[in-house]
Amino acid sequence: MKKPIIEVKNYSFAYENTDKKVLDSVSFTINEGDFVGIIGRNKAGKSTLCESLVGLLPFTMGGSWDGEIVIDGKSLNETKGAGVTDIIGIVFQDAESQFTQETVEDEIAFAMCNFGYSRELMRERILYASEACGLRNMLDRSPFKLSGGQQQRLAIACILALQPKVIILDESTSQLDPIGRDEVFGLITKLHAAGSTVIMVDHNIEKIAEYVNKVLVLHDGKVIEFDDAGKVFQKKDKLNAHDVRVPQVTDAALQLKDKLGFKEAPITLEQAKSVFAGYKKEGK
Amino acid sequence: MRECIIETQDLVHTYPTGVTALKGVNLKIYKNDKISIVGQNGSGKTTIVRHFNGLLKPTSGRVLLFGEDTTKQKIGQMARKVGYVFQNPNHQIFCTTVRDELEAAPKNFGFSEEETKKAVDEVVELMNIQSVLNTHPLTLDYTTKKIVSIASVLAYKPDVLILDEPTGGLDEPGRVMLTKIIDMMIENGHTIIMISHDMDYVAENSDRIIVMCQGEVVDDGSPEKIFLNAEVLRKAQIEPPQITQLDLYLENGYPKEAILSVSDFIKKYKNI
Repeated sequence: MKKPIIEVKNYSFAYENTDKKVLDSVSFTINEGDFVGIIGRNKAGKSTLCESLVGLLPFTMGGSWDGEIVIDGKSLNETKGAGVTDIIGIVFQDAESQFTQETVEDEIAFAMCNFGYSRELMRERILYASEACGLRNMLDRSPFKLSGGQQQRLAIACILALQPKVIILDESTSQLDPIGRDEVFGLITKLHAAGSTVIMVDHNIEKIAEYVNKVLVLHDGKVIEFDDAGKVFQKKDKLNAHDVRVPQVTDAALQLKDKLGFKEAPITLEQAKSVFAGYKKEGK
Repeated sequence: MRECIIETQDLVHTYPTGVTALKGVNLKIYKNDKISIVGQNGSGKTTIVRHFNGLLKPTSGRVLLFGEDTTKQKIGQMARKVGYVFQNPNHQIFCTTVRDELEAAPKNFGFSEEETKKAVDEVVELMNIQSVLNTHPLTLDYTTKKIVSIASVLAYKPDVLILDEPTGGLDEPGRVMLTKIIDMMIENGHTIIMISHDMDYVAENSDRIIVMCQGEVVDDGSPEKIFLNAEVLRKAQIEPPQITQLDLYLENGYPKEAILSVSDFIKKYKNI
């Protein structure tokens, strides 16, 4: 039996001085080791949800709320959003805007300094995080002179140094070129394989389908679907009605379902290659 | 024969840092072209388009805009003909309300009050941004900022519209709207030049793709041809859309033309 690490119980949220529920009675549970993709159109509530999971909302940035979020057994209502930085960390879309230090090394150390880690422990964690993120030979570089992909990896390293059990990436790849994007997906896959729980918000449906095992679809602050990726992407019409598309190969397979004959439509290119094998030409 | 509106002749550009971003590019862009320029970061995409409106001047070689050398034209005249939407809307937006932002360019180009109002009303309607007209643009979320930055250039209807990574951060409805705008501009005789890493979008929204790699144009042609050139794609580190890759696999790498969308794929395979 898997252990729940995030429990969201009937949680609603409205920003300060507004009545509109950006999140409306949201309930779901994420278990340790899950890799969850959160998808949905803009303003569906994705970022609000991510910021609520780390306690930034409502406790630091304000707003009214109802319900409860429990992180690794701790109710954020009771801790007032504090006490979970070593359990759950978030990486934002625009990594550059979060940097304050002159070197990569100082940037990774920054949060640990603030939490009063010992020098020895900091050294150890800097080496661990920079190694994991492929920044070991860039420790003396300026964060502002790194490429987009390297900056995202640095933002991830800053979080990793705190060794949280859960990492949230909020559109962390949308500003990157394909090489930078693959760097980030590659790193995240490794962290997941090593036991981390990962939550990823991304508009790139094909990549989400390739990497995650569970998908949560948000629309107008409500959870529309939360299930295994393979199951969620079968529901093309329902997703389309909520402004979310399915991977191209899934779309094609569902349209040719009568000819192909399958239980579940493929959601990745590799799966599609075997489902469509009957169409493959022999020779050149 | 369509009119050639932008021509680069042996265009070389070396930045003050000593980096040569363009190494002798010869390119012709025709009226009503719907072009995407693709290639990895640092390949010279942004550098080349910034020569089209005179933001950058050649280190050697020439750039002709409507037949005239860009070093001999005023920057304001060129900006009127060639509109440029920056990749990062924060680099472009400078007014304190969205309405001012949209009015800025038309007013600068000498539109009358009435013409300005008409132009702004049109893009507001088209891009569905009525509700944010009195908002400070920098307080908007990224996507809406992006839409405002496109609208502010669209307002004065330049002959050539350059879009630098227009789909970054856009969701599905945003992409559908962008497509509608591009199609409308093309229908009205304008020219679109898009820089993009988003191959799904490029495949479905270009008549011509220019592939750049290390300061040179390494391929130039229809998307149906470009996505078959495995060697160039590998060199330029471009990954074709998923559906294109599936078709390539089923054809053992040798279809006659690349499939560019799911609907093309269905048309091709539904009767097999």
